Amino acid sequence: MTLSQYYGLIDVQARMALKSDASRYYFGYLWWVLEPLLYVGVFYVVFNVILDSRRSDFLIFLVCGKLPFVWFSKSVSQASSSIIANAGLIGKIDVTKTLWPMAVIHEGLYKQAVVFLLLFCILLFTGYMPTLAWLWLIPIMLINYIMIVACSYVGAVLVCYMRDFTIFISLGMIFLMFTSGIFWDLRALEPAMAEAVLLYNPMALILDSYRQVLMENATPDLMHLAWVGAIFGGLIVIMVKLMRFLSKSLALKALTA
Amino acid sequence: MLELDDVVLNYRSGKNSFEHGVHHVLNGVSLSLYEGETLGVIGKNGCGKTTILRLMAGIFEPTTGTVRRRANTSAAMLSIGLGFKPQLSGRSNALLAAMLQGSSREQAEAYLEDIKAFSELGDGFEEPVKTYSSGMRARLGFTTALMTHVDILLIDEVLAVGDAQFREKAEAALKERIMGEQTVVFVSHQGPQIQSICDRAIWLDEGKIAAEGEAGAVLEQYTASIKLGSKLPGGAATLIT
Repeated sequence: MTLSQYYGLIDVQARMALKSDASRYYFGYLWWVLEPLLYVGVFYVVFNVILDSRRSDFLIFLVCGKLPFVWFSKSVSQASSSIIANAGLIGKIDVTKTLWPMAVIHEGLYKQAVVFLLLFCILLFTGYMPTLAWLWLIPIMLINYIMIVACSYVGAVLVCYMRDFTIFISLGMIFLMFTSGIFWDLRALEPAMAEAVLLYNPMALILDSYRQVLMENATPDLMHLAWVGAIFGGLIVIMVKLMRFLSKSLALKALTA
Repeated sequence: MLELDDVVLNYRSGKNSFEHGVHHVLNGVSLSLYEGETLGVIGKNGCGKTTILRLMAGIFEPTTGTVRRRANTSAAMLSIGLGFKPQLSGRSNALLAAMLQGSSREQAEAYLEDIKAFSELGDGFEEPVKTYSSGMRARLGFTTALMTHVDILLIDEVLAVGDAQFREKAEAALKERIMGEQTVVFVSHQGPQIQSICDRAIWLDEGKIAAEGEAGAVLEQYTASIKLGSKLPGGAATLIT
């Protein structure tokens, strides 16, 4: 399979999935915007209305963290089940197994493009004007995407060998949501603790970087971001090789386990 | 163009890691497939027919033994277009199947109208596959695989479905391909189809080759074993092999 065929297949599958999803729901494509807004709404009610966040800019603080996080958690959770979900096709033709998680990831990517537009609209309407610093969003989004791909590959292989991992993955996402500083401010922690969270949880670093750029017009911690990008990029390379090596074994597992 | 040499395939299912959790599907199968021929594989349900096709297509690899396929030979199962994304339309499924078999998006789009016409699905082609009857699915699957090109076409009992009129048309189209350069492996548990289509046949029983040779002769042995088996108490048919 050539690279252009590979991307053609990912693109076609992602578009088809989006179209059929939209046709299944009464509100159709509106859900692309509605769903993230509802997520934000729920968190806003809990952490600002019921529990006082003591931040006047809590809504912006929340959307800058929550929207990128939902991109990660939804993509990885769905991509993890993608190999077994495509067992029907896997039993008919030998194709590279990264194709299935990638199709799911790209479905999420197209949706996220709209969600980021929504985020920019919210920022503009609340008086946050774009500056040159916003260009830092490009590497931040890229690293966010690299993390999604790497974690999706790992999840897809684990779930294919042992279905039990779906439970661990959904639990892991909840843990990650609570520890990444989505509704609490990392920078309000003790410096030592903040440093530890940033060191051990790359998602916390990514979300903090979005906020630094969008809310403070500041340059994010580039060195740290580059490290995270390199580590997850390396993980992608390893997983692609591993999935190529395990291709037939994954097919047998998907069809028989 | 394809060779199986002493192929064994076992797998474990579930969490059972001891011997009784292991399924023995194929047990020492050797065969050769020659360019342009049509090979029939016959046997009861569960004898390993579909597994042999999956090994030939390179979807599985044998636990031991080797599968040698000539370089740059593509193989796909004909049932590929059967519509595995039920929420998508017949058109989308056909497009996906054609692209999975190596067509570019443009080539695949070009096949679509032919697929629509041959399958006679009409407006149903635009409907989600979940609304299809099994006959309509068979039409879609058969047509999709037939319209796109693969070097080795692996057919898994697909002709058994669909109404008589379409079956005739499908068989005719298949024969036309067989007369040409197409290499075909055809799997069925029905004798007459194998006899009408195949040059050579293999009878597979309990994961082993029970007989091999000219299609008519192999079928005779297979039919005889079934008749004999049905007179004996349950499961005794295997005694004959």
